[in-house]
Amino acid sequence: MALITADTKLCDIITGNPSTITVLNRLGVTLGVTDATVASACCDKKLDQDFFTTILNTYINEEYFPEKVMASFHAAQIVDYLDKTNAYYETVQLPNVERHFMLLTRHGQQPNSNLNIMFRFFQELKQELLDRINDDRKRLFPKVMAMANAGVASNVQVNSNNEESDTIQDKIDDLISMFVMHLKGEYDANLCSAVIIALASLHKDISQNNRIRNRLLLPFSDALKSAGNE
Amino acid sequence: MNKTNVIVLMHDTLKGLGLKHVLEDSFNVAVTIAHGVEAIESMGENVDYIFTDLLTYASSIKFFIPRQSKTIVVSDHTTADNTSAMLCSCDDLDTIIDTLGHFFAHHDNDSAGSDGILSARETDVLRLVASGLINKEIAEQLNISINTVLTHRKNITAKLGIKSASGLSFYALMNGIIAPK
Repeated sequence: MALITADTKLCDIITGNPSTITVLNRLGVTLGVTDATVASACCDKKLDQDFFTTILNTYINEEYFPEKVMASFHAAQIVDYLDKTNAYYETVQLPNVERHFMLLTRHGQQPNSNLNIMFRFFQELKQELLDRINDDRKRLFPKVMAMANAGVASNVQVNSNNEESDTIQDKIDDLISMFVMHLKGEYDANLCSAVIIALASLHKDISQNNRIRNRLLLPFSDALKSAGNE
Repeated sequence: MNKTNVIVLMHDTLKGLGLKHVLEDSFNVAVTIAHGVEAIESMGENVDYIFTDLLTYASSIKFFIPRQSKTIVVSDHTTADNTSAMLCSCDDLDTIIDTLGHFFAHHDNDSAGSDGILSARETDVLRLVASGLINKEIAEQLNISINTVLTHRKNITAKLGIKSASGLSFYALMNGIIAPK
């Protein structure tokens, strides 16, 4: 998709890529966007236009990551966005997968043992994601904010190589593979599709936002460690 | 799907090259011409089949006996030798291809693991991964090198589409490769 600019209409962004609705929500924009452009919406809602377009472009285009622009934003903006992203995983996406998955395991006259085992795998990766969110809230985000407020942020370099293997993403990939390649027994095809689509949506969101988290926030954590504060 | 690794070790160079040509043209295999059994030994577990002639077989019998199940002896004439699979180089091309096809199909069925996707050895590795062993411990347990363990793990992930140790454990549970705790 072409890069989003100040003149791009919000309705074109959403119709071209419906998954951006959730990102727009985190940035303070809800549905009913009329024919507003990025510039007019940011002006009305007093949003930072550069931050707004950069986050959306980073989400939509996998190759897009303007390091200098990203590093120029205040840590509070990025922490606020990632905090809202975590809240979305916790209150919307994980419950959405879980609800459909539970219906799937209860569907049919005979219990499907494969689906029950796969549901346990989902519970494990869900707990791992919730633990990470908890660690973000209690440890990482407050420390990043403290460093930024103390002026340490200017010494922290963006780490373009910080694409560490994410076990949560790997596990979601694995669970999708189990559905696609190894599912046996009786199951409801519609509910299966719903679970797979919900998992794929969660995977994409985590994958895109991890680029921001791993390249911008984890270097703060590394800097803290090297300064002996941890 | 990964290619089957075939080694051709023939006294007669032209026969070796001809066999390589027939194998690569008719089957999904990667063929390497070897010069001496030492070269095959150095390849470790990455060898699925060895094609050789009677003369080479007889002169390196100690090497071939432990590898009997994956050795095919090419002969100039049909002989009643039950030590290894036989291929007669005098047969017409269709018969040769037919014989090879039967051999590969039979061997694939023999070596399949309990889930029908992984080989027996890959299933062994998966069972140990699912039991929580690290690569070094798996290598010691199966008496193979760490590199061989890594190759098996790579093949398992490619075949199953599952790469996390946790995902592999749940797969093993689903397919009865390990028992529920």
